[in-house]
Amino acid sequence: MSVARPRDLACRELVELLTEFLDGVLDEGTRTRVEQHLVLCPGCTEYLRQFRATVSATRKLAEEDLSEPVKENLLDAFRHWRTGS
Amino acid sequence: MPSATGEPGASEPMRAWKFLDVGRIAPFGGHVWPAPSGSAPGAWIRFPGREVFACRIDDLPWWIAPELWEVELERPLRALETQVAAPAGRLLRRVTSWDEPALRAYGDACAERARTLAVDALEREGRAGDAESLRAPRSMLELCRAARALAVDAAERTSSNLAGYAAESAMRAAEGVAAASANITANAAIIASGDPAAFHRERTWQSRWIAERCGLAPLAALAV
Repeated sequence: MSVARPRDLACRELVELLTEFLDGVLDEGTRTRVEQHLVLCPGCTEYLRQFRATVSATRKLAEEDLSEPVKENLLDAFRHWRTGS
Repeated sequence: MPSATGEPGASEPMRAWKFLDVGRIAPFGGHVWPAPSGSAPGAWIRFPGREVFACRIDDLPWWIAPELWEVELERPLRALETQVAAPAGRLLRRVTSWDEPALRAYGDACAERARTLAVDALEREGRAGDAESLRAPRSMLELCRAARALAVDAAERTSSNLAGYAAESAMRAAEGVAAASANITANAAIIASGDPAAFHRERTWQSRWIAERCGLAPLAALAV
């Protein structure tokens, strides 16, 4: 085959695409490039594993699972994040 | 049941190859493919609104993983550049000759190809002594060190650049990341020849290596 090959994906690019990859919304070409990068890169594979584990763990959390101080800390962090302060 | 080497009818399932992680786990989806039982194939894997993917022999170097399986795919198939997509698939048998030693040997073989590309370039550029020093190492780590020492002016000389690729390929082989070693060597082939098609020629060599090592018969059935 002599067609030009798409450039290999960099680790930084993969990190940016990971949420869309897990949501299954990437176009076929981009998804394939992400998967081909994962085959080559144990670091990104481990990152994906941790990302999946985090998503899975947080899905199990309900609002009532959080103590009031933890809830307050989180809300405070989100308030500052939104205002940039 | 179609033959692995024959051309079945258009309505019959097709055979292909599939790499999985240890325990028949899909490397990206994370699901477990059902195991065959005795001579009976595993249960069909089918996802709503999503296809399953498998390899022709030429696709194998793109998808290296610890386990290699022969799979049966439901039609209609869609031929993609580096894989085949199907509505459903099931495992037929594990290719037991694809094991840890084979994976290591594959990475080493790819790194050796990168070494050859670098040695040839060193000789072409009149660096016989450096070529000899790159021929000498016996282990992948020694090769990595020797090649790295020759890559200090990689931006200036093609031979040094290729020594850098040989160093990286040997390092990945030593780490057991054979897929990366293979990819680096395929990229080195472009540098060595100046021809982008050299990448695919190297991939073809790699797929033939795997097929020969594992005794994989060409699957004519995969002409989609």
